[in-house]
Amino acid sequence: MTETNEPFFSVHDLVVRYDRVLAVREVSLACPAGSAIALIGANGAGKTSTLRAITGLVRPAGGEIRLEGTRIDGLAPAAIAACGITMVPEGRHVFPLMTVRDNLMMGAYLRRDAPAIRADLARLLDRFPRLAERINQQAGTLSGGEQEMVVVARALMARPRLLLLDEPSLGLAPKIVADIAGLILSIIRDDKVSVVLVEQNSRMALRLSHHAYVLETGRIALSGPSALLAEDDHVRRLYLGAME
Amino acid sequence: MAQILIDGSVLSASYALIALGITLIFSIMRLLNFAHGELFMIGAFMVYYVYGAWHLPFVLGLLIAALVPALIGACFEKFLFRRVMRVATREENSMLLAVGTAILLDNVALFLFGEEQHGVPETISGVLQIAGGFLPYQRLVVVVMSLALIALLLGFVQFSRPGRAMRALAQDRDAALLMGVDVDRTSMLGFAIGAGLAGLAGGLLVTIQGVNAGIGVDISIKAFIMIMIGGAGVVSGALLGALVLGFAESIGYSALPGSETYLLIFVALVLFLIIRPQGIMGHPWG
Repeated sequence: MTETNEPFFSVHDLVVRYDRVLAVREVSLACPAGSAIALIGANGAGKTSTLRAITGLVRPAGGEIRLEGTRIDGLAPAAIAACGITMVPEGRHVFPLMTVRDNLMMGAYLRRDAPAIRADLARLLDRFPRLAERINQQAGTLSGGEQEMVVVARALMARPRLLLLDEPSLGLAPKIVADIAGLILSIIRDDKVSVVLVEQNSRMALRLSHHAYVLETGRIALSGPSALLAEDDHVRRLYLGAME
Repeated sequence: MAQILIDGSVLSASYALIALGITLIFSIMRLLNFAHGELFMIGAFMVYYVYGAWHLPFVLGLLIAALVPALIGACFEKFLFRRVMRVATREENSMLLAVGTAILLDNVALFLFGEEQHGVPETISGVLQIAGGFLPYQRLVVVVMSLALIALLLGFVQFSRPGRAMRALAQDRDAALLMGVDVDRTSMLGFAIGAGLAGLAGGLLVTIQGVNAGIGVDISIKAFIMIMIGGAGVVSGALLGALVLGFAESIGYSALPGSETYLLIFVALVLFLIIRPQGIMGHPWG
């Protein structure tokens, strides 16, 4: 079924509607394997709604979502997760009363390969020494930056093929934001995971991604290679805070 | 004094099964199971028929007292609540459905089981005397089995894969879905286990208190009181609520005529809720 020109992951004419409000209108995206795309735009532009539709948390009102050519729109969230799509939702959704270890193990909920799960856990704890120190602590008692690490590490425990990151830098101190940016870069480069990054921090998003889409009131206003968009007047003025 | 402690412990242990069951369902589905007392009553009748009327082993009666309510709970989730919660735009819809299931079971029970009060013979006779108080072996059986079941449930929720899925759903629904937790299956299992616990509590307490088709509402109200005291959706709250209610009852009954005890409990509950509306342990299921 997969044609040679079919991208690894694609969204075609996606429509998301909440009651009578149109949140996303005819958004199309494409993400080649191993690539990172960014969605940037103001609050309420439809970025989060797009991600929630991809993961099945909301049912799309129209359009098609394909992973390796197979349609996944309309599937239940658990089925979409089983396809290898994982999202780090906005606002650090840790399981607050579970320990850090149980949180990470929940990431591997759909996996049955116990030895590989243990090996992945050990590797991630090497990568996040902060979490190793707090492995038996309740996740709800961690700082914001640590909770962000928990949810990213939890997502990696799923061994995702496509990772959706929703506002990973939101509400974090600048120093932590830099850490998170480095982490995302290493997920793209070293783990070879395809990434869809949603960020209000447009500068960071454009720096980390290969291709970017600018969403305005539910539509794609502009798209192109991230490096080019970073030079675009409209983008610079509206999203990068450049003076006219 | 010793008698109050003994009676309070017996009541608390079996009430904890009721409170844990309704807490399990509440925390997974955000649904107050109004039919919880009816499921208790059905469990009690199962033991009455299997053990009391047909003279089969008590343990077999308990097993059926768990299975029949569990099956009813699973069917309620699969055929009624799943659909209503999916299409409903307001929470009241599923709440009204829950009230409906309670009324349905009440009337089916009245039709099938009749109005009379039934008791069962003791499974074990004899009385233990502790520090001036009397503890019939029958009540000791109820306490020990209740504690064992509580331990079993807590272990299941803490260490099993479906148990982890239940905790995840209760603590962060979206995140649980994203990790691949199957809501439908987990909710059905949670409803079945919660209902089964209610049935087991009924099957155990029928040996002490007997049963009639009208006790469902009273038991549901006790279940609500316990989770209001402890805090809805929290394991520790359910256990604490059971302790408070069990001992309030045993103290009250030893000092006052029956009806005044519950009047005082309600007054105390209202005053308590004004001060602390979220209950003692008010935060999500752990």
